[in-house]
Amino acid sequence: MKESTFLNIIDPVKDKMYRMALRLLTSKEAAEDATQEVILKLWKRKDKIKHYANIEAFAMTVTKNYCLDQLKLKQNNNLRIVHQNYESHHASLQTEIEVNDEMQWLGRIVARLPEQQKMIFQLRDIEQYDYDEIAKIMDMNQTAIRVALSRARKAIRENLIKKHNYGIR
Amino acid sequence: MELDKIERLLERYDEGETSLAEEKLLREYFLNEEVPEHLMSYKLMFMFSAKQVEETFEKKTKVNSTNNWYTWSSIAAILIIALGIFFFNDSSRTLNESDLGTISDEELALQKTKETLNMVSQFMNEGKSDLVYLKEFNKTTNRIIEIDQ
Repeated sequence: MKESTFLNIIDPVKDKMYRMALRLLTSKEAAEDATQEVILKLWKRKDKIKHYANIEAFAMTVTKNYCLDQLKLKQNNNLRIVHQNYESHHASLQTEIEVNDEMQWLGRIVARLPEQQKMIFQLRDIEQYDYDEIAKIMDMNQTAIRVALSRARKAIRENLIKKHNYGIR
Repeated sequence: MELDKIERLLERYDEGETSLAEEKLLREYFLNEEVPEHLMSYKLMFMFSAKQVEETFEKKTKVNSTNNWYTWSSIAAILIIALGIFFFNDSSRTLNESDLGTISDEELALQKTKETLNMVSQFMNEGKSDLVYLKEFNKTTNRIIEIDQ
């Protein structure tokens, strides 16, 4: 496989890989490194992945596993990956700021979910994969995925409602 | 779309039973239309999901950078070693046969040798003439010793 062919295959997937890494690792730098690392790994195995029916699902699986490994490593080192993605709010409308606040809050809620739910929520609601593909990527059966997804969705919404009620009272 | 249909879809959405097409309907509804107060939390969730997709991987993907690095560094190493051997084995450092007997005529060779030796002895004498005053030291010591005796 040539480099250009490989890059053509990877190009549509790399954003999804990056977002998956970002969801798990939180820090943008760590997510970028992880994505780059996974792409290199795939390139080194280019002769094998030629025969894979679904390269995208495989790439996502490798990304998922790599990030989980990274998290384990960091935990063993008693380190936490801390994000430093602080963006300055340049002058914008009040409503825009409010929406941004809500989005940040949601991001924090999602970050607190168990890793499995986090990943499934990412794959389904953000990347819009069908259950078949998610099953391949996560190496789980579809029923288990639906259950985890349902839990994730309910948990996120409950937290949102709770926050809003606190805000009012 | 009617509200009760949306609410029915949302119930199934919560259970993880909606299809991708149904979720697309929901997404379009929540992103584009006025949403009643009790469904605001869903709206935020769909907004969040839509916003997350905007995050993209901006680094340029490169796959064979490390390979390149290895090849170039090995080429450089080979060059350095090859050049090193070439220069340190330079033949100019060993005596060359053709540089020795440039004068073939014996008569001329003798004359040249004499000239050279004369020149050497001349320089020797010039250098030695500066050492004459050293005798002065001997004189002085002798005189002192004589007195002492």
